[in-house]
Amino acid sequence: MQSVSSSRLAGIVGRLFALLASVLVTLLGLLALTFFIGRLVPIDPVISIIGPKAGEEVYRRVFLELGLDRPLWEQFLLYVARIARGDFGTSFVTNRAVLYDLASFFPATLELATLGLAIGVVTGVPAGVAAAYWHDRWPDYLIRLVGLVGYSVPIFWLGLVGLLVFYSRLDWVSGPGQIDVFYQGIVPPVTGSMLFDAALAGEWEVLANAFSHMVLPAFLLGYYSLAYISRMTRSMMLDQLSREYVLTARLKGASEFTVVMGHALRNAAIPLVTVIALSYGGLLEGSVLVETVFAWPGIGNYIASSLFRADVNAVLGGTVLVGAVFIFLNMLSDLLYQMLDPRSNLRHR
Amino acid sequence: MFFRKLSLGAVILSTIGSIPAFAETPKDTLVIADAIDDVITLDPGEVSEVGGVLAANQIYQPLVTADMQDPTKIVGVLAESWNVAEDGKTYTFKIKPGLKFASGNPVTARDAEYSLRRVVKMQSRSAFILTQFGFTADNVDAWIKATDDMTLVVKTGDIYAPSFLYYCLSSYVGGIVDAKLVQEHEVNGDYGNAWLKTEHSAGSGPYELKRWEPKQSMLLTRNPNYEGGDSGTKRIFIQHVPESAAQRLLLEKGDIDIANKLGPDDFGALEKTPDISFITGRSGTIYYMGLNVRNEFLAKPKVVEALKYLVDYQGIADTVAKGTIKVHQTLVPEGFLGAVDYNPYKLDIDKAKALLAEAGVSGEFTLDSVVWNTPPYTDFAQAVQATMAQAGVKLNLEVVDGQQWLERYRAHKLDIWFGLWGPDYPDPHSNAKAFAVNKKDAPDGSDGLADRFGWDAGTLSQDAMAAVREKDTDKRRAMYEALQRTHTDRSPFLYMFQQIRKVGIRSNVKGVVLGQTFSDDRYWNVTK
Repeated sequence: MQSVSSSRLAGIVGRLFALLASVLVTLLGLLALTFFIGRLVPIDPVISIIGPKAGEEVYRRVFLELGLDRPLWEQFLLYVARIARGDFGTSFVTNRAVLYDLASFFPATLELATLGLAIGVVTGVPAGVAAAYWHDRWPDYLIRLVGLVGYSVPIFWLGLVGLLVFYSRLDWVSGPGQIDVFYQGIVPPVTGSMLFDAALAGEWEVLANAFSHMVLPAFLLGYYSLAYISRMTRSMMLDQLSREYVLTARLKGASEFTVVMGHALRNAAIPLVTVIALSYGGLLEGSVLVETVFAWPGIGNYIASSLFRADVNAVLGGTVLVGAVFIFLNMLSDLLYQMLDPRSNLRHR
Repeated sequence: MFFRKLSLGAVILSTIGSIPAFAETPKDTLVIADAIDDVITLDPGEVSEVGGVLAANQIYQPLVTADMQDPTKIVGVLAESWNVAEDGKTYTFKIKPGLKFASGNPVTARDAEYSLRRVVKMQSRSAFILTQFGFTADNVDAWIKATDDMTLVVKTGDIYAPSFLYYCLSSYVGGIVDAKLVQEHEVNGDYGNAWLKTEHSAGSGPYELKRWEPKQSMLLTRNPNYEGGDSGTKRIFIQHVPESAAQRLLLEKGDIDIANKLGPDDFGALEKTPDISFITGRSGTIYYMGLNVRNEFLAKPKVVEALKYLVDYQGIADTVAKGTIKVHQTLVPEGFLGAVDYNPYKLDIDKAKALLAEAGVSGEFTLDSVVWNTPPYTDFAQAVQATMAQAGVKLNLEVVDGQQWLERYRAHKLDIWFGLWGPDYPDPHSNAKAFAVNKKDAPDGSDGLADRFGWDAGTLSQDAMAAVREKDTDKRRAMYEALQRTHTDRSPFLYMFQQIRKVGIRSNVKGVVLGQTFSDDRYWNVTK
């Protein structure tokens, strides 16, 4: 008995170590890639800071301040050493610690992406199931058409048209920005998420206003992920519905609902988890176009504008964050796999 | 199930419809939409980005400034009087008595001394505006000196037109900070830069910095100690709205008062909208093409001249830009001292072909042209490409990001640069130095645009330096008028347009004064 549990413990520890090592190697690879690509990009961070008019001494001073006189590999090692100590450096645009910046820009993306994904899943999965069930009949065509539009129409265009219709003409939602000027600075920032902070402070009017600002971009992101999720659900369901166990279930007299939802969807759900996790990851990177159109202070714009300014620390910090998000989501979907599919549990034992 | 979800969506949407939306901005707050995600500092000693200069202008005051009605006139702000001694190098400024900073500290000549010295000593990126007078970290303590609490004496390295110094002091680097307050926050000899950069302000102007969320918004609140009273709004809120169409919708709905970054396409749509008006103003910004004469074709003056006949100036101004530019073919912008109405070039393919033949160029040739990937440059470049092709000049347009655009020009790895020049202070020398003065004639030994494009301006370089040293304003004006015509005819700079500022504004907003350079708008007397 004793030996069994200690070997199990060793197994768990070993797996944890393997996991940690793979996470670290992934992150380090990501850092190295971003760092060197960042330096290959023909943008000079010094000019980015001093502009076109300053003289040579100023150039020299900033060049040295940024440590650009050191060899590239040395700059990279110094950077990694600092990261290992938890210091992500300072952004020269915002003059704040990159970690602080990420903490203030990421929540805006997180709440938007989460709402968007919820909309995408709640509509996309049933749509995909329906399309597969009524395969090659009109609901299928309709759902595929809706998905195709969501996939192929540029999202910034949809955003502008959405603003024109629902904000400008119909007055159903609020316009670009995270909150009306009236409500600026009322809610103390705790989590950084406007919705949560307003709820924590009990400022329901602020909450309603923040929500009305978020609804349109969230629906857009939701529509975009609906397009992806419904198509993937459809093809996975089609695959499942053509299997023999479905035929068996029907022959045994199971209701259509049980066949589709209880058997086929349950099996399709396993790969679907990955699809959903990946589209969540995609949304959490921040959609630069949506954030630009809606003047949304999210992580996508933060990373993009940092990239254009050659603000290396900010870009690397943002990349590590996005990488960590993907790794976390992957682990989460692995976990869900095990819960949904008893066989994967068995294998590990 | 799917359809049930759909109807749920409709229910959600209709509930949102019941949330009240305010159709106007708060009465005591001026709300401005602008693109401010590039701003890296609000320290007046080093501001440079448009949004940073804009904010710093509301917070800090210079000694003197240009009269916005007549920019050739200098008026006092913190200084009540100013004069230059017989030697032409010694300037004396008397500070107005009774002025206070937002902190309550009195404004003295010591503050002016500290503020101007720190720009030079910090080697700030904007220091070139001051160091062109010969100030260095070593001599500035002797050359910029408060002789008593109310008197500041500035000595320049050479004799210059007095108005030149006054205009330079009127620019953003001339903003005077509260020396006592800033010195309390100096860290490792940074002259309080870290403290002033993002979170604090120490000025005497109409507003103080309340909060700046980089890349998001800026909030300025009224300075209770401002000498000009409190007739303007209590707050200014500048919101980062990068997309011009979004700015337009916000302005239409009344969620913002001023849209600073509208594109030409938005004007047409807004003109029909009630409650929206436009203010237009002169901007000193000039759009030009720099021709790198290191190129074998561009080294021939006749080829350069031919290219000047291959741009449909008026056509671009009328169609692409829709009233946001006017044709302008000289180096000094309209509205500045010495500006002339001299636009000799228009589209003339035959003449261009004849000039190319005279230069001995036969057949097609290609020029690598670097274009910033943002309107209006891309539109200008395409239009120019089309007309140049008609004479066999092929432009290879390399459309690049803004930083790369700067880098290519700095390294002169290009044949043609689609550029702009925004003067930093409303004096003709800001442009004359850039376009006409070679390094060898520049007192501070700095590279000008002429050097960047490989051009020896010859006697024009000395003429430009003579003009900035001329103390008599009328003579000085005549000198600029003369050198500009020659410069337009001979230089490898193909001046095209001067920008016209066009800002969308709610009709109830009164009192906005547009600036003269590129971002010195004045908001402090705005009412709504």
